Order: sequence, then structure tokens, then C-alpha cells
Amino acid sequence: MSKEKRIIRDHKEMPRSSISSEDMRWNRTGSWRNVKPFYDPKTSPCIAGCPAGEDIQSYIQLAKEERYEEAVRLIWESNPFPAICGRVCYHPCMDACMRTQHDEPVFIPAIERYLGDYAIEHRLMPDAPAQKHPHRVAVIGGGPAGLSCAYYLARAGFGVTVFEAKDKLGGVLRYGIPEYRLPKHVLDAELRRLESLGVEVRAKTVVGRDVLIESLGDYAAYFVGIGLQKSRPLGIENENAGGVMPGLAFLEAINTNRKVEVGRRAVVVGGGNTAMDVARSALRMGAEVTVVYRRTRNEMPAIEDEVEEAMREGVDFRFLATPVAILAENGRVQSVRCQEMELGEPDDSGRRRPVPKDGAFFTLETDAMLVAAGELPDTRAFESIARVQNGLIVTDEFGRTSHAKVFAGGDIVTGASTVVNAVARGRGAAELIAAQLLDRKFDPRVHKKVVAIADVNTAYFLHQRRADMARAQQSAEAFAEVNLGLTCTQVQDEMNRCFSCGVCDGCDNCFVFCPDVAISREDGVYTIDYDYCKGCLICVQECPRGVMSIESEAS
Amino acid sequence: MTNFHIPEAELMSSGHLACQGCGGANAMRFALKALGEKTVMVMPACCWAVINGPFPHTAVTVPVFQTAFETAGSAASGIRAGLDMRGDTETTVLAWAGDGGTFDIGLQALSGAAERNENIIYACYDNEAYMNTGIQRSSATPVGAWTTTTPHPHPKSHPKKRILEIMAAHGVPYIATATIAYPDDMIAKFRKAKEMVGTKFIHVFAPCPTGWKSPPEMTIELSRLAVQSRLFPLLEVFDGRRYVVQKDIPHKPVSAYLEKQGRFRKLTEEQIAGIQKDVDSYWESLLEREGPGGPSS
Amino acid sequence: MKKVLEGNHAISWGVQASDVKVIAAYPITPQTQIVELLSEMCASGALPARYIKVESEHSAMAAVIGAAAAGARSFTATSSHGLLLMHEMLHWAVGARMPVVMANVNRAVGPPWNIWTDQNDSLSQRDTGWLQIYCESNQEVFDTTLHAYRIAEEVVLPVMLVLDAFFLSHTSEVVDVFRVEEGREYLPPFKPVDFLDPTRPKAFGNLTAPDLYYELRYKIDQDMRRALDVARQADEDFYRLYGRRYGLVEEYRTEDADTVLVTSGTVTSTARVVIDARRERGERIGLLKMRMLRPFPEEDVRRVLGRAQKIAVIDRNIGFSVGGIWAQEIKAALWPLRRHIPLFNFIAGIGGRDVTPGVIEEIVDIAGAVDQPERDVYWIGVKDDELSYTRS
Repeated sequence: MSKEKRIIRDHKEMPRSSISSEDMRWNRTGSWRNVKPFYDPKTSPCIAGCPAGEDIQSYIQLAKEERYEEAVRLIWESNPFPAICGRVCYHPCMDACMRTQHDEPVFIPAIERYLGDYAIEHRLMPDAPAQKHPHRVAVIGGGPAGLSCAYYLARAGFGVTVFEAKDKLGGVLRYGIPEYRLPKHVLDAELRRLESLGVEVRAKTVVGRDVLIESLGDYAAYFVGIGLQKSRPLGIENENAGGVMPGLAFLEAINTNRKVEVGRRAVVVGGGNTAMDVARSALRMGAEVTVVYRRTRNEMPAIEDEVEEAMREGVDFRFLATPVAILAENGRVQSVRCQEMELGEPDDSGRRRPVPKDGAFFTLETDAMLVAAGELPDTRAFESIARVQNGLIVTDEFGRTSHAKVFAGGDIVTGASTVVNAVARGRGAAELIAAQLLDRKFDPRVHKKVVAIADVNTAYFLHQRRADMARAQQSAEAFAEVNLGLTCTQVQDEMNRCFSCGVCDGCDNCFVFCPDVAISREDGVYTIDYDYCKGCLICVQECPRGVMSIESEAS
Repeated sequence: MTNFHIPEAELMSSGHLACQGCGGANAMRFALKALGEKTVMVMPACCWAVINGPFPHTAVTVPVFQTAFETAGSAASGIRAGLDMRGDTETTVLAWAGDGGTFDIGLQALSGAAERNENIIYACYDNEAYMNTGIQRSSATPVGAWTTTTPHPHPKSHPKKRILEIMAAHGVPYIATATIAYPDDMIAKFRKAKEMVGTKFIHVFAPCPTGWKSPPEMTIELSRLAVQSRLFPLLEVFDGRRYVVQKDIPHKPVSAYLEKQGRFRKLTEEQIAGIQKDVDSYWESLLEREGPGGPSS
Repeated sequence: MKKVLEGNHAISWGVQASDVKVIAAYPITPQTQIVELLSEMCASGALPARYIKVESEHSAMAAVIGAAAAGARSFTATSSHGLLLMHEMLHWAVGARMPVVMANVNRAVGPPWNIWTDQNDSLSQRDTGWLQIYCESNQEVFDTTLHAYRIAEEVVLPVMLVLDAFFLSHTSEVVDVFRVEEGREYLPPFKPVDFLDPTRPKAFGNLTAPDLYYELRYKIDQDMRRALDVARQADEDFYRLYGRRYGLVEEYRTEDADTVLVTSGTVTSTARVVIDARRERGERIGLLKMRMLRPFPEEDVRRVLGRAQKIAVIDRNIGFSVGGIWAQEIKAALWPLRRHIPLFNFIAGIGGRDVTPGVIEEIVDIAGAVDQPERDVYWIGVKDDELSYTRS
């Protein structure tokens, strides 16, 4: 069988009749093409959606093969806290999941949680850094942003000291999010990893009060991740009456087992995650809870899951209402007078501004009023060294402040946001700091082109519902964890639902359906023989996960 | 994790002359993978007679005997007899014909072979017109389709000839439908046919982008939609009587299939509804033939 | 062993003696007895062959071509419309270079239906590339079946042996036949060079462009020409083993003949009787029997007819508007001689009209009466009262 066309010059070279025994590979049909397919791995939408940039597609593929430890370590390259985030994150990954177009999204947070718990159960620890550096970095704030920054700096071989105002590390993870959402033993287990890396902790130390930043001495760099400290007051009369509490203080009390009472009825003001945590905690303390929010459910900034769970648990909601007066008796709140609102033009946040409805009032009798209508930053300790605007530290997208040695991230930079965003910024800043200290080029992570809906061919996927996660029984202890995670079988089934968008998983479709046998495979790698590819693009169309792209032959 | 488990051996090489996205090319590749080297292929005039390349070249590594248009069934009968009389009863004789050479001009020879229950596999790769000669209608062309001999405003008005029932009436041991979007199924059916004695007829649905005016990349999708819309149901018929219909396939409306092809561009809503109705009632009739027992193969 | 056999059965015996492996045939009068006896022979095991009872003659030829391609010696028989229906596949057998053998019983072509003999069916196939051998007797028919396989397998082209409807096909004569064991020395088992073999896969008949098709046809022509010597040798070898030979042509009393009749088929036997009668009366008249049509034995024809003063060709066929087909072939063969010999072309016996000795006498008389033919073609016995030459 030859690769050249057989040329016959004398009839005596020919068989007696048209009997052919040479093959057709001399005919390089690649010359017929005007468009050309090629393998173009893309970023899965879940990865693009994750603020921390976790390589979700890859860790799911690893875990599918039961390579759990490798999967965990892959998560740790982007996020040190899978057991935490798997429980509390607002999961933009799942919201971006391509499978939603087919039936239901993949239950990514549940998978991440499973892997996080696996790491804890098997006491997995990060590898020691390859190289140790002499520099020491000060991380101010032991919440998710600071902890993340500390972790990645320590992994990179730097000395890290974390300054934490409260008794223990955690920030909102310990003092904000309640036990039933994030058990403390899980948090402590995740934090042990920092310990293993030799991170030094100076607890009960408030920078700006116990220690001035100028006196922190010769740290090679500083990362500020102090978050938002105080609830915003409503600014109405009797806000300091008994039974009226700021939401953050209420949560901190519960999370440190200090005594606090809500009575039989509680009103919670606000529509964010703090308000939901407050409401559901008050419920667990025996109160009938009513949440009052000035816009509608659509505008609530809280994670949708939290709102649903609150409603399911029996929290009552009064939308389009805001407290205008607190009526107290003997120094204790008796009722809250609220005005009805309607939605007008959009404000700066893009949401429609609530406008009071004339003459429309109602009163709620209550034993407690918990105010969770926003949190405020306190940047006084840092205003002399870095630029602050609107109360927040100004940084570029990677965390550089106006001071060459000072970096910042988390809510103190972005305003109220989420755990995963803080973790992402902490890591980004750590990588930037490391590059700066070692005088190396900083290469921020860049995503390839993200897979689009049109790229995916859902014909190759059966329909299968998302796994149902077990929930704690009603009779269980009040603050016991509500969501119980998925079983091993459930997780495996759920991972099999993952399309692996944009990343080849060796399904063989391109190889099977090429009419010209122009695609070969070896050791799981597919190659197109462009000598023969006619550019029919069947491979591109039949790729279930959009790994292939098209370019013009002219290019 | 592969979607399909097709045999490794390649018996068809690159460089053949099929159009971009040819359904017949995939059909040949899968058929040969199923049957293997010990196969002699008989090919009447059809697209593959040209796709196989010019003398002294050939694109497949099994012996091929090209024969006149009408004669796939009779030439295959002769080859079978010749091989048997030489003492080779193992080599499979495969007649590989298009719809023209099966439904029309080749129907007599096929009928004769089937009536004699010749021990051959007769595979018809159906692209629903005389494509090799430039898209003229055949009796396999469906209602409403444009071809060069059924141009607008008179697209094909007669329904597609029911080759399945014709072959069933001959009482042959095995009839099957197959298509390229379901390679494992197609390969299994060819292999099953290989193990049986007598005439085995396999109707392979093979979209043709050139003649159907569909984008070449949609060839597999169209063959899948043909099955899903029940326009081309996957089934087997044993001894002309026992029907086994594959039912666990997602169901789509025929419009999903029709709208992707330029040859159906001028169909009205009413005409599409008519096609849907015919497809539905034919499906019902197949289920009735299968009977309450359902598949038990 | 000697048997009294009709022509059709002589063919069946010839097929059996030739160790044929695959037969595919479709019934048509007057061929049916060939295949009926073959069916009996297959059923009884006397002939261990596969008989495919095809559904038409076109399929019959396709099947025997297929069988030959698979490497088996194959046979079919037909007549008239069956042959015409096979026409496409006759070309195919040649292009595919398949050494199949076919017996054709010469029968007139319709419409209207006519089951009696003339030669238009086989002669109109003369450009297909098939070799054609015309038989005069049932013995010749049996013997020629074996010749046919010898020649076919040597030059790798198909051979048609031709016999007259009813006059031969249904007329019994004494035939000395033998069985396959005795035939093996003359005709060993078929050993094809190229055949369908999964261990050496090749494609037969792929599309061929002008750059090579031309040479393939050239090769057929070359092998067809070579067949003249092959046929002579086959004839000689048969004679050596069995004591009978026929030549590509046969001269009968032509040594000093002024006038030579040219005939083929059973008309030849009748003509011999007339030649003898005329010789008795002192006329210098002889007979050239044409046995081979393709390849055309030009040299033999030139040698025999070149000596004649007058030629009278009797054609039991018609090439409309140009005369008898044998006559045309002969004129073409004589052209290189550059000698004009008056050639009378007589049409007789079409549609089975009887060619009696009286008819041939009339032919001889007409030719004898004038120096040059007065017309291109004489339709002997035609019912046309404006024609003066015809009287039978």
C-alpha cells in the first residue's frame, strides 16, 4: 500500500482487467477543505464562574476515577477550604453549569464538600514548601481573605504572621456563619492546615489599637483583610432599646455560646446573608421570625439557597417594607412600625429604589429586633498608609494598594461580598506578593475561551436528576448541621453527570464519526491528519463537550 | 470513557472520494469493522462505486466486485455459489448497494436472491435518491423532497417505497434497520447477520449533505433525528414475521429532522403535519406488529 | 459412449464432462431441455454443481460472472430474448475478463413471438467481445463445450457456443460422449489467476479513466486475436485425444471450385447435400463452413475464398439495410486481397423458414445465371410479387 498514485506506462504492467490493489492514500483530500477543525480545549463555565478559579472540571474527572487525594490537592491550588466553601458558598459554579440546559446542573458544591470532608477524614495535609524564603509577611485579619493569603504565602515558602482581633481565627466563618451551616469542627479541621504550614498566629491583637501598623516592624509585606466589622444602624428612634441588637453582634454571641435572648417573636431587618443567618438562628432559639425587607425577593442580596431554606424552615417574610419607628416600653422593644414601599427607579446598585408608599403602615409586635441591613468597614488604622475611598481600601484587581508594601483583599476592599471572593483575592494577593518579593514576573491566571452553549452536543447525555442531599431531621438538636452531604454513591453518580465541558475525556466520538478516517488516537490523544481532513466538521458537531473549534483554511 | 465500542481494525482508508460529511462513508466503515477481513463485497453502480477510487486503486481492504446496476442480488448469488463450490463457506458475501440499486432497478435481483434465500448479507445504504448521478428521485425518496427530477413546485409526491415490508414478505431470516448515529447497534446487527444462514437484509440510513442540502457536519445528527423522530425506526424482523422494535429512544417531532434539510425547505406547516401523522400511524402499526409481548430477542 | 441425444442434451453432457461447478439459468424455449437435464444431473449427483435458479437471464449472466470471479467454472444457456436481456451483462463478462461459457440456441427475435431458428440473436452480440462458435451437429455441440472452456480459460474471455433452434436443439443424433474423468486430460480444473480472495483483497472493476481504459480494451483485442491460435490448438489437442476435429472453418470440396457457398449452422448440412448433387453434374462448386465468428478467421477465409470465382453467402439473419451479417464479415475479410470477387448475398430461413435442398439449389442457380450480382441482397422466397428471382 503506497502513498503515491500508481502511474502505469505500459499495458504489460497492468493486470488483465481493472483489478485494483493499490490504496487511495495518495489522494490527499485535505486539499478539499475550506474550513478546518482543531482541538481547542476551553474553560468550563463552572471554572470561569468560580471566583477562586477552581479547576472544577479536572477535580471532578480525578474524583470520578476515585483519585480523591489528587482531586483535593487540585482544589487546594485555588482554594484551601473546600469543606467550608462546599457548605456555605453561593455556588456561581453551579449556576453557570452547562448541564442546566439539559436537565439540572451538577451539584458541584456537594461534590466539593464531599472532597473537603474526605481530606479532613483522611487528615490530608499540604506538602511542605519546596523552598523556604527568608521573608516574613504580616497578614492582618484572620477571616477568609487573610487565611487564604496566609496559606498561599506559607505554601510558597514565606514566613507568615496572622494578626487576629478575636480569640480565634475564622472571621465571619466562625463569628458570623452559624453552626448549622458550618460546624466549628469542620472549620477547625480546615484551619489545622495552616498550622501544619507553620503560620504564626497573634490572636486577640487589634492592629490600630494593640499594635500600630507603623510599629509592625520589618515585615516584607502586609496584607489587610479585616472585613466589615459592624452592622449599619437603621438610624431610627429607640434603636438602642433592650431587645434591639445589631445582627453581627447577635451572631457573634451565638457563635461564642454567650447568652442572648430573642423571646417568642423576633423581627429581622435586612435581605442579605447576615439577615438570613440571623433569622434562622433566632428561629432555632424558639422565636417566630419575621424578616422585613424594603425590596422584593428578587432584589435580595442573600444566597438564594439561604432564602429558600429560611422560608422552608418557617421564617415569615414581609417584602417591600421598612421599619420607621421602634416602640419601646420600659426600655424594651414592644413593636416595630413599618412603612410599605414600592419599587421606583434603579439606584447605583442597579436595583430599583424602594419608595415609601404614602399612608401605608403596619405594626409588628415583637420581643426582639435584629438589625442586619448592611455592614460597615473600619479603616481608621490604615488610612495613613493606603488610600481609602467610600470607607473601603482602594486596590487594583490583584490587591495592590497605594503603598508599595501593602496589599488588601476581601470585604474591606469590595464591600460586602462572599467567602469565595475573599479567598480568591487572598490567593491573588499572595501570588502577587510572592512574585514581588522574589523579584519574579507576576503571571495572573488567565482563562482560555469559555465553552458556549452552542458548543455542547447534549444528544450524548441521558437525563438524570441532580442528587438530593439528605437533611437533618426536625427532631435533631437545634443548631445541628442541616445539610448532611451526599453519600459516596450519590457523589459518584453526580460526578458522572458532569459534561466535562471544553475538556476532552476520551469519548472517541470524533474518532468514530470521521467519514475519512482522518482522526487517530493514541494513549488518549487524538490527532487530525490534515492531509485527509475534508473539513466536514462532523467531529466538531459531535463533540459532546465543545472541545473542538473551527478556523478558516486561509488562516 | 468511550461512548461506543467499535472494533479496532480499519478496513477503509483515507483518501476516498466521498463528499464532505458523506453518510455512506461512515456506513461502509462500520459495516466493514463489523464483518472483518473474511468478506467479499459486491457493489453495483452507486456512490461507492466511485468513492472507492479509480483503477488501480481501492479504498477498502476487502475484495470488491463491481457489477452492473441491477445485479447486486444476482452477482452476490453467483459469488456465494462460487465460493461454496471452492470449499469456502466461511467468507461472508456482502452486497453493498444504494437505494436506487435496491428499491428500483435492483429490486428484481434482490427479490430473486431473497426468494431463493441465498446465503448473503444484502446491505442497502439509503440516501434517498440517485445521488451518484446528480440527485434524481428514486422510489426511496420521501414525500415532499426536492430532487432534480422532482423540482418545485412538484416535489416528490409518492410515498417512500416500503422496502421493509417487501423484504418481510419474502420471509427472509433477518431484516434490520440501522444507521450511522448508532454505531454499536449497526455493528451488532451486521455481526448478527454474519452468523445467520440465508438472506439477511440490512437497511442503513445514510444522510447525504450534497443531495439533502444539509450542512455536512449535521450528517450524524440527521441520522440520529431520523431515528428519534421515528421516521426511520430501529428494528429487526425475524423470518418476515417477528418484529422487534427499539423503543427506548428519546422522541422528537419530525419537524426537528425536516427543518435542517434544504430539500424540505418549501414544506408547508400542513405538509409537515401530514408527514408527522404518517410517521405516527406507521409507528403504531409497527408496534401492533410487534404485539404485546414486546422484544424478546 | 454413444448415445442418441438431442442437441440440447448434448450440451448438458458437455457441461457435465467439463466439470462445471456453478450453473445459473432461466428457462426459455428452445433452451429448456439443456437446463432440465442439468437439473437432473445435479439432483442425482451425477454433476456436483450448484444450480442457481435465477429469476431472469440478466441475473443468470450476472450470477455466472460472479461465480467465475469467485474462481468457479460456470455455465449458462439461453436463447433469443434471453440473450438480448443479457446484453449488458455480456459486455460485463468481457470487461471483467471472466471465462464463462454459454450455450445459445439461435432463435428469432420478436415481436412478434417466433420460436424457430435464425441467427439474429447471437450475431447482434458480435461486438460484445464474446468468442462465438457455430455448431452444425450434436456431436460438434458436445465437443465444442469442452473446446469452449479450454479456449475461454486460456485467453480469459467468455465463449458462446451456438446451435440452431429445433434443427439441432430438439433433433436427436448419435453423439459419442464421455464423463468428466475422461475429459480431465483435455480440460484440467479451472485455475484462475485473479479471483476474489480475502487473503489478497483486490477491487475488480473500479472506475477507470481514459488514461487506462483504452489499454484495457487494447488487451481484450489482443487476446481475442490470440484466440485464433488458441482455438486451433484446442481443436488439435481434442483431435489427438478423442479423434475428432472441426477447425475454425471447414472446406468442403473447395479445391477446384469456381463457386463457393458459405454457410453456418445446420444450413451447412443441407448445403453439403446440394454440393454433392451439383458435383455429380460436373459443376465446380464447393462449400466453406463458417464455425468461428469471433475471433473472425480472416486468413482462413481469404485463403479459401481467394481462389474462388464466385462466392455465394447464405445468411440466416439480416443486418437491416446492409445485408446478411456473415456476408459483411466476409467482404471485410476479403478487402485486403484487392481482388474483386463477385459475392452474392442470399438471405434465407429467417424466423425458421425451412432451408431445403431446393432452396439452396435455387441459390446456386441464381448465382450461376449471372456474372455479377444484380442486387446487394437476395431475399430468397420472400412473398413479393414484384421480385422476379424468387420462386420458392
